[in-house]
Amino acid sequence: MTENKKSKQQALDRLADALVDDILDASPEEILAEFEEDNGGAERHVAEMRALVEKSVAMANKRRLTAAKAGVASSRASSKKAATPIDINEARRLMNTLTPAQKLTLAARKESEQSDDDLLSMIEDLRDLGVLPIDDDSDGKG
Amino acid sequence: MDQAVVPVVATRSRDEIESAILAFTDDDLLRLRKVSWFYASRHTIEAEDLLQEAIARALDGSRKCPVNVGVVKFLAEAMRSIAHGESEKLENRVVTRSLDSDTDEEGEVLDPPDPSPSIEEAMINEEGAAILHDRILSLFEEGTPARDMVQGMMDDWSADELREVLGLDKTAYASMRRLIRRRLNKEYPEGWSHDRE
Repeated sequence: MTENKKSKQQALDRLADALVDDILDASPEEILAEFEEDNGGAERHVAEMRALVEKSVAMANKRRLTAAKAGVASSRASSKKAATPIDINEARRLMNTLTPAQKLTLAARKESEQSDDDLLSMIEDLRDLGVLPIDDDSDGKG
Repeated sequence: MDQAVVPVVATRSRDEIESAILAFTDDDLLRLRKVSWFYASRHTIEAEDLLQEAIARALDGSRKCPVNVGVVKFLAEAMRSIAHGESEKLENRVVTRSLDSDTDEEGEVLDPPDPSPSIEEAMINEEGAAILHDRILSLFEEGTPARDMVQGMMDDWSADELREVLGLDKTAYASMRRLIRRRLNKEYPEGWSHDRE
């Protein structure tokens, strides 16, 4: 015999699993007859269930489409970001807007004298780090 | 050293599952309705939400359906798993909060959120299960094979063990299981609830 409340919950779960197995194994005729006898309105329940599963499938499809759209948008944003050119004069202007601490951090990262390429690379780094916004409308001119 | 061979189980594609769902027969749909009632009534989720979630997980690929398992059985197993997961979440729910949340913007001390509802819910579930457990057993007269079989099913006895202990052949065993299912269905036509009068 089960002794406590927790084990009674588990006992009910086991009984439910066994009865669900029986429901799944019963013949179609048995299921239809038993449902009608126990619950009545089998046709109504069938119609409700069919509507429910169709709605569930439609919702799952919509979710998949939304996820696919989000994936495409994210992929476009990444490629746009990678392709956005930076004008060297604009890069110098942006560098002047940085705080001394940010400049020091960047200088330490590059560990060398700053060439134009270093400067452009730093601006890319700052965009990647989120310190500077990605200028989607930029045509690369300052 | 011998390498363990892990068998690769072929699974149904998303389109196969969707086609199977949309082609369900009337009895398939009624089976799923019964199963959803069963698992929902034992746990903290609505039957329709349970089935919808099972279908969503089947179609988004988060649950894989082996080709040798029927889609109805697969969805039934998914509902069981989801319902059990909901119960475990309730049992394991831990109320976490920042210490900052105890004061408002002016630094006034606020009442901390009361964690007791989850404990209360768990206690109600346990209490309800205990009542239901005893009520189900009481539907079958003590000392009868049906009562022993229900108790055995609750105690996770296998079919072979039950047949041997109760001295039933396969046909008599199947009849007894059917009798039990029918009696329980009549008493609880839309799933089990301890609240039922």
